[in-house]
Amino acid sequence: MKASDTWPADELLIRARAGEASAFAGLVRRYQRTVYSIALRMLNDRHRAEDLAQEVFLQLYRALDDVESDTHLAFWLRKVAVNRAIDRMRQESRHDNEPLTEAAAISGEVLEDDPLLRRRMAELLAQLPPAARAVVVLRYQEDLDPVDIAGTLDMPINTVKSHLKRSLTLLRARMQGTAIVEDIR
Amino acid sequence: MSKDFEQQLRDVLRPVEPEEGFEQRVMARIAGERSRARSKVTRWVSVALAASAAFAAILGTHEWQVRREEQGLEARKQLIEALRLTGEKLDVAYQAVNRESSPPTDVDGSGA
Amino acid sequence: MNAFIKHSLILLGALSLCTSATAAEGQLKLPEFGGLADKASEVVTITLDPALLGLAARFLDPAKPEDAAVREAIVGIKGIYVRSYKFDEDFAYPRADVDSVRKQLTAPGWQRLVEVRSRKQQQNVDIYILVEQERANGLAIIASQPREFTIVNIVGSIDMRKLHELEGQFGIPKLELEQKNEKNEQKK
Repeated sequence: MKASDTWPADELLIRARAGEASAFAGLVRRYQRTVYSIALRMLNDRHRAEDLAQEVFLQLYRALDDVESDTHLAFWLRKVAVNRAIDRMRQESRHDNEPLTEAAAISGEVLEDDPLLRRRMAELLAQLPPAARAVVVLRYQEDLDPVDIAGTLDMPINTVKSHLKRSLTLLRARMQGTAIVEDIR
Repeated sequence: MSKDFEQQLRDVLRPVEPEEGFEQRVMARIAGERSRARSKVTRWVSVALAASAAFAAILGTHEWQVRREEQGLEARKQLIEALRLTGEKLDVAYQAVNRESSPPTDVDGSGA
Repeated sequence: MNAFIKHSLILLGALSLCTSATAAEGQLKLPEFGGLADKASEVVTITLDPALLGLAARFLDPAKPEDAAVREAIVGIKGIYVRSYKFDEDFAYPRADVDSVRKQLTAPGWQRLVEVRSRKQQQNVDIYILVEQERANGLAIIASQPREFTIVNIVGSIDMRKLHELEGQFGIPKLELEQKNEKNEQKK
C-alpha cells in the first residue's frame, strides 16, 4: 500500500494539479476500477476497454485544472468514459452480438449459483444499443439515479427512464425465454 | 429465478479491476506525452526544481533524494513563513474591525 | 461601514472552494525592488508557485498540529508570493514601487475589503480580494510602515479565517501593536 492511498481524494487532486506524479497515480488507482468497468461493459472487449480507460486518464491529466473537487472528479470520469465509449461504438458499429466467451468473461468476478443464467444476462446486455447500454451500466454498475444519469449523458430524464424501462423489459423477456428453454431441458 | 432481476443485473455488472500494471501503463503514457509536449512548450520551472533535475543526472538517485528532501523542507519553511506574515497582517485588520465593533466604554457609568 | 467590513471578513471565511482556470488569474506582477536588499536590514522574498506549494505540502507532517493547520489553510491555494523588507531608516523604500502594486488592484474584479490607517503606529494595511462569479480567487495584502513594507499575494481559493488563525500556531510573540498597547496600559 502506498502512502498516497491514505490521502483524501481532494488532497490527491490538489497535489496532482501541483504536478505530483505520485498523487496523479493515486487518482488512477482510486478510480481505475470504475473507469475500466464502464469501458468494459460498453465495449465488451478487455483490450479495447483498457485502451479507452487509459485515454480517459490521459484526458484527465490534461484537464486537471477543470476538475473542482473529488465529487466532480467522479462525475467527470464517468461522463468521459461512457461518452468516449458511445462514440467509439458508433464509429465501429459494434453493438451486435458479441462472442459468447467474451460476454462470459465480463459477467463479474463472483459467479453464483446460476452461472449459465448470469452468462446469458451479460450476453444480452452486450446486445443493447449504445445509449440504452450506457443507461443500464450507470444505473446498475455505478448505482446512479436517473437524474445523475441524465446529467452524465446529457440526456433528458424522461429519455433515461424510457431506456431503463425498455431495457429491463427486453432483458427480462429474453432471460425468461432462456429460463423456459432451460426448464424444458 | 430466486433473486430479484435487478439485483442479478447488479451482480453481473459488479465492477472489475483492469489487468495488473494498469496504473504503470497510464503513467508511462503520460510521461510519453509530456516529453513530446516539452519540445513544443517552454515551461517555467523554479531554479531549485531545475537544479534538482541536473543533480539527479550527476549525483545519482540517492543524492537526488537527499537534495529533494532539502528542497521540500526549505519550501515548507518558506510556506510557514509566508502564512505567518499573512496571518500577522490579517490580524491588524481583524483587530481594527473588532475595535470599531466594540461598544464605547461608559466612563461615568451613567448609562447615557 | 464597520458592519460591512466585519460581514465581509466573515463571509470570506465561509466562501467555498473554487479554482481558477489558470494559475495566473489573481497573480500580481510584483516589482523587482532592485537594490533594496542592500539597504534593508531584513528581507523576505517568497515565491511558491503550484509546484513548490505541492512540494512543501508533501513535507507537512499531519501529526503536528501546526503543520495540520497549514495544510488546512492552503487547500485550494495555487500560489503564494511575498515581498517584505525592513529598514533601519524611515521611508528608505520607494513608495512608487508599492503604489505600482496598488494600481494593479484597481483592475476589474479586485475589491478593497479593508483599509486600516493607524496614525499612532503609522501603519497602513490594505486588504484586497479578487472576486469572480461570487468567489474569491485571489488575495492581496499591502502593509506599510515607515521602516517596513510587506506585500502578500495569494492566488486561488482563500479561507481568511483559517489564515488568520494560523498566527497562533507558530509560537510567535504577539503583534507589536498589542505589545505597545499593553506597555502603554502598564505605564498608566
